[in-house]
Amino acid sequence: MVENRSLGQKLDWAVYITFFVVVLCLPLLTDDVFWLNRISKFLVFGLLGLAIALSWGYAGVLNLGQGLFFGLGAYMFAMSLKLKSTTSLQQGSDKPVPDFMVWNAEPGSPTELCCIVPGSWLWLPFQSQTFGMIMAIVLPIVVAFVVGSAIFRLRVSGVYVAIITLALVLLVRLLIIDAQPITNGFNGLTDLGWLELFGIEFDPYMYETYYLVAVSCCLIMLAARWLVSTRAGLILQSTRDDANRSRYLGYDVAAYQIFFFVVSAAIAGFAGMLYVVAAEFASPTFLDISFSISMVVWAAVGGRSSLIGAVIGAVLINSIEASVSETEIFKEAWKLIIGVIFIFVVLLLPRGIAGVARDFARWLEDKHLLSTSKRG
Amino acid sequence: MSYALTVDGLTVDFNGFKAVDNFTTTIDTGELRVILGPNGAGKTTLMDLISGKTTSTSGEVKLFGREITRLNEHQIARAGIGRKFQIPSIFRDLSVMQNLEVSASGEPSVFKNLKYSITQEEKQKIEEVIELTDLSDVLKSSAGDLSHGQMQWLELGMLITQDAKVILLDEPTAGMTKQETMKTADIIKKLKGKHTILVVEHDMAFVRDIAERITVMHLGKLLAEGDIDTIEKDEAVREAYLGSGGIH
Ligand SMILES: Nc1ncnc2c1ncn2[C@@H]1O[C@H](COP(=O)(O)OP(=O)(O)OP(=O)(O)O)[C@@H](O)[C@H]1O
Ligand SMILES: [Mg+2]
Repeated sequence: MVENRSLGQKLDWAVYITFFVVVLCLPLLTDDVFWLNRISKFLVFGLLGLAIALSWGYAGVLNLGQGLFFGLGAYMFAMSLKLKSTTSLQQGSDKPVPDFMVWNAEPGSPTELCCIVPGSWLWLPFQSQTFGMIMAIVLPIVVAFVVGSAIFRLRVSGVYVAIITLALVLLVRLLIIDAQPITNGFNGLTDLGWLELFGIEFDPYMYETYYLVAVSCCLIMLAARWLVSTRAGLILQSTRDDANRSRYLGYDVAAYQIFFFVVSAAIAGFAGMLYVVAAEFASPTFLDISFSISMVVWAAVGGRSSLIGAVIGAVLINSIEASVSETEIFKEAWKLIIGVIFIFVVLLLPRGIAGVARDFARWLEDKHLLSTSKRG
Repeated sequence: MSYALTVDGLTVDFNGFKAVDNFTTTIDTGELRVILGPNGAGKTTLMDLISGKTTSTSGEVKLFGREITRLNEHQIARAGIGRKFQIPSIFRDLSVMQNLEVSASGEPSVFKNLKYSITQEEKQKIEEVIELTDLSDVLKSSAGDLSHGQMQWLELGMLITQDAKVILLDEPTAGMTKQETMKTADIIKKLKGKHTILVVEHDMAFVRDIAERITVMHLGKLLAEGDIDTIEKDEAVREAYLGSGGIH
């Protein structure tokens, strides 16, 4: 390539490496497992910020319903963990049956997963934890592919995509609440068992779980970064700038948009699964509009056109929120504060924290060039 | 068959209004054809029809004998047609280099583009274009920060890295200073022979500079075709231009 590695790019890598080191060394600095558990949840939110940055920053597709994919991933995996819960084994059957189904069952129905309540047979394959894990990724992928194909083949864009995705997450939220006998409605899936992988039990308040989340998070960040820096990633960014130009250069724009929409959904689905491991529940609140909008705020504050910026934005905002929530007065004011920050960022710093950092790097670079050219 | 482009009976009907009406012409391989016509004659619409932006009502377009009338925009582009728009259409948030890298990929598929590498051939094409368009000093700049003229040249350059066999240029000198116009004429002259070019222009000085054969459109129809002297003497052409002040 003609371009040399610039200071900006070096700074970018420096930020990644610092972030990884900090995240991976955190457990060495503390033995407060509650705090670590909290950080691992924030890292999961970081992945959600990253998923938003991928679709909004790189593809120009503002998805206001990312919670849909997060929720689907979370529910799919929580179903498996629910069946592993000790409570599911105490319902008088030798096979696991979720406790809430027993409470909902018609008197006299068999205490069997196949037929205790209508539709409960859907839970049968989730007795395998692997099945739940696969579905947590595959279902978001399939849904995103279908939705994305419809949206992008019809060349829907801009605010209409936001409206459609918003409507969709609301619809699925209602469906989940409505299917109360098999989803436990508003209450969601609680009292879950632990993930078991390679003979390790992932107690959410143990270092293993923190590392599972942290390492997954780092790997996904690297993979996403690789993806956007390939030529496909560049072509995707070109479709964001001027879709028609990309078309007349010979690219099937919809194919690129669908592909990255699906990747973004898969990341959100995976994040949903990790969240269930760390938080031990899945609930319809994952599909609340306010949650999906929060993700957009995290990405905007961190910098939607920077993947790591969005991750840091998410971790930062959630950390601040958690610490101010401990004071009663601030707890009330927080929503207002975050709203003001969002407006401030959108109006004055459209590229977020990452944008400020990049401008700073460029400024340094110019100064550096200037001084070396003077010397030389 | 040495025709690069064959347009046969091409018609588009916008609710009863025929913006292009039974238009027929053939363009030789390597030819540079200028299309003239008063405002609203249907020149841009003709390019829209050829490049797939608008679907024709009847008639057909052939590229080197291959029918491309019903293909999608991106398929037509891959078949070998490059299109420059009246308003510069480039990737403003990408650097000039990135713009050229996007246009240079010989590979349309998402999955096959999941790689960093750029082939030697692509690299060479990009370098040729940088030289031709004189953009070497601004490779790292955002394309959106370029001057109007540079944007036009970049877009033109992208059609070359795209390896378009037939290039459609819609008013490439619109809004340019005299100097920029001259430079554009130079670039286009250098492309003569290597690419087949179809250019819509209003600037007669520019047209005289570059033109070989000229096609005049009026009310969607072909009015006259021939070299510049023939066209300037043509009665029908004079009449068509009367309302808009004549050719000058
Ligand atoms: N999609 C459309 N629907 C209806 N009418 C259209 C459409 N596109 C173009 N037209 C009409 O077709 C006619 C030809 O337009 P066109 O833009 O092709 O003219 P032109 O020769 O490029 O003119 P100019 O020199 O001003 O660029 C105009 O009257 C225009 O209003
Ligand atoms: Mg026009």
